[in-house]
Amino acid sequence: MREPLTKQDISFGLDDLRPRVKEKKTLRDYFMPPRHPSILFDPDKCTGCGTCEMICSTRNTKMVAPSAASVKVITDERQGKNFAILCQHCRKPLCVEACPTRAITKGNDGIVRIEKLFCTDCGLCTLACPAAAPIKDPGSEEIHKCDLCEGEPLCVRYCPESALTFTRGKFFRWIKGLRWAVQLISFLLLVVVFIGTFCYFKAGEVTLSCPTGTLQNIASSGTIILVGASSALALLILTILAGRLFCGWVCPFGFVLDLVDKITPKKLGWPAFLKSRMTKYGVLAGAVGGSYALGFQAFCTICPIGTLCRSYGVQSFFRSAELAIVPALAGLEIAQRRSWCRYFCPVGAVLGLTAILRLIKIVIGAKKCKKFSCIQCAEVCPVGIIEGDELREGISPNIPMTECIMCMRCIDRCPYGAAKIRFRWQKVTPGEVT
Amino acid sequence: MKEKEDKITEAKKVSGVHGCVECGRCVAACPMAEMYTNFSIEMSPRGIIKKILMGEPAVEDIHIWYCTECNAGADVCPQGVSCRDLIRALRETAIDEGVIENAKTCTSCGRVFVAVPVENFVYGRLQEEPANLFNTLDICPPCRREMYLVRNA
Repeated sequence: MREPLTKQDISFGLDDLRPRVKEKKTLRDYFMPPRHPSILFDPDKCTGCGTCEMICSTRNTKMVAPSAASVKVITDERQGKNFAILCQHCRKPLCVEACPTRAITKGNDGIVRIEKLFCTDCGLCTLACPAAAPIKDPGSEEIHKCDLCEGEPLCVRYCPESALTFTRGKFFRWIKGLRWAVQLISFLLLVVVFIGTFCYFKAGEVTLSCPTGTLQNIASSGTIILVGASSALALLILTILAGRLFCGWVCPFGFVLDLVDKITPKKLGWPAFLKSRMTKYGVLAGAVGGSYALGFQAFCTICPIGTLCRSYGVQSFFRSAELAIVPALAGLEIAQRRSWCRYFCPVGAVLGLTAILRLIKIVIGAKKCKKFSCIQCAEVCPVGIIEGDELREGISPNIPMTECIMCMRCIDRCPYGAAKIRFRWQKVTPGEVT
Repeated sequence: MKEKEDKITEAKKVSGVHGCVECGRCVAACPMAEMYTNFSIEMSPRGIIKKILMGEPAVEDIHIWYCTECNAGADVCPQGVSCRDLIRALRETAIDEGVIENAKTCTSCGRVFVAVPVENFVYGRLQEEPANLFNTLDICPPCRREMYLVRNA
C-alpha cells in the first residue's frame, strides 16, 4: 500500500532542474588564485567609432546591426566623452542572482554566460546589473550579453584605437609570501631569540625602545632620559618613511592576530557603539595619564605585545595571569579582523599620530579597475579602511594613512595593478591611476 | 484621444488573442511560477487572456503588473498569441487611465520602466547585497548607462 502523495512530494522547482552550483575553494585556489578573464576599457583612447558594436553584432546575429551587439558605445556630446558599456564578468554577478530561470551561469573559467535555451528575454538581468550591461535589442527583443567570444574577443582585436584590452590579471602574488616570511622571522626574533626586546633593546651602543613605553616612562618618572627618547625615534622614523609598516609586517601580536584570523573565517561583527577609531587615542591618553598617576608604566603591564615578547621560557610562560591578555584580545578577532589594532592599540595610536608626517601614500585608481565587479581590495583590507561603496560607484577611495597598517594586501590582491604606492606629494596622472 | 475600449480592442488585434485555444503552454513556460509564491490563475497569461476575451475589466487589475514581459509564452504558443504584447498594451492603457500605483518610474528621467512586483522580486533576490545598490536599482537602464559614463569617463 503506497502512502498518498503530500504537497512536498509533488512540488518540483528549479532547484531540482537546475540546482545552483556552489563555489568550491580548493587548496590550489588559495596559493594560485584563478585568473579570470575580462576586458578592460580605456575611456581616454576611445573615439566612439562603434567598431566594437558592429563586430560584436556579426557574431550575435550574423549581420551588421549595432543594436544587436553585446557592447554599447554611449557618447556624451557636451563633454566629448565616449564610453563602452561592457559586461565586467563580476566575481559575484548580480544577474545570476536575479535571473528567474537560472539561464545565466558563471563558469569555472570565470566567464558569465547566458544559455539561450533557458533565456526568456525578460530583461531582469539588465535591471539587476549596476551598469545595465546585458543589452536588450529593441528590434528582436532579445537579450545579448558578452561571453568574451570564449576567450578571444573580437572587439579587442578590431578596436582601431586599442581602447579595449583583454586581460587575465596578475599571475603571481609575491608580497603575500614575503609578508608572512617577514612576520614569522620577526615574531621568532622578538619572542624567542631576543626575549623582551620590543619594549627595550640594548646591544652595545645601539638602543631601541617602544615609543608608547617611552611616553609612559616619561610620564611616570617625570624625567626625560635622552637615550630612551632617542631610541624610541627609530620606530617613528620608520613610520614617517614607510607608514605604519611595523603594524603590518613586524608586530608579533599582529602576527598572532593574522593567524587567529585564518582559523576564524566567519566574523560575528563588531557592535556599532564601539566602532570608533579614535578610541585608541583615548587608550593612549589613559595609559600616559595612568602612568603619571600611579608612578609606574601602567599600560606596559597588560600590553599584549610586551606580554607576548616576555612570554617565552618555562618560568615566564607559567606566570600566566599576564599572558591571559593575549588569548583574550586575540579572541576579539572573532568579531572583526584586527579589532584590537583598529580600535584600541596605543602603540598603533602613537604610530598613527606619527604617520601624519608620512612620506608615502597608497592610491587606488578606480578608473583602471573593475569597480563594483571586483572590490577585492576592500575585502582583503584587515583594518577595513577601503570604502567598497565608493569603489562601487566608480570613485577612487581615499585611504587614511594614519589608519593604514601598510600590509600591502590591496596592492597584492588587485589583479589590474590599480592599487599603488606613491609619494605623498606626487600627483597621480589621470591615465595611470585615479 | 482614443477611448479605453478602442485601446483594448486594438491590443486584442495586435496580440492575436482571438486565436487562443487555452492549451496552457504559456503557463507552463511562464517564469512567474518560479518567481512568485502566490502565483495564481489570475496573474497567469492564460487567466489574463481569458479575462480579456470575456470582456471583464482587466486594466484596473493588479494582476497585469506581475509579468516580466518576457518572450517565453509567445515562443511556445501554437497559435502565435503574444501574451507579452497584450500585457504591454494593457499596461499602457492602464497608465493612460491613471492606474499608476504599480508602475515604477525612473528617478532620473521619469519614464516608466518596470512594474513594482517585478522590482520587488529583484530586490528580494539581491537582499544580501549592500544597501547603496538599491539607489541604482531605482534608475532605468539607459539612465544607468549615462550615469556610468559620467562617473567613469
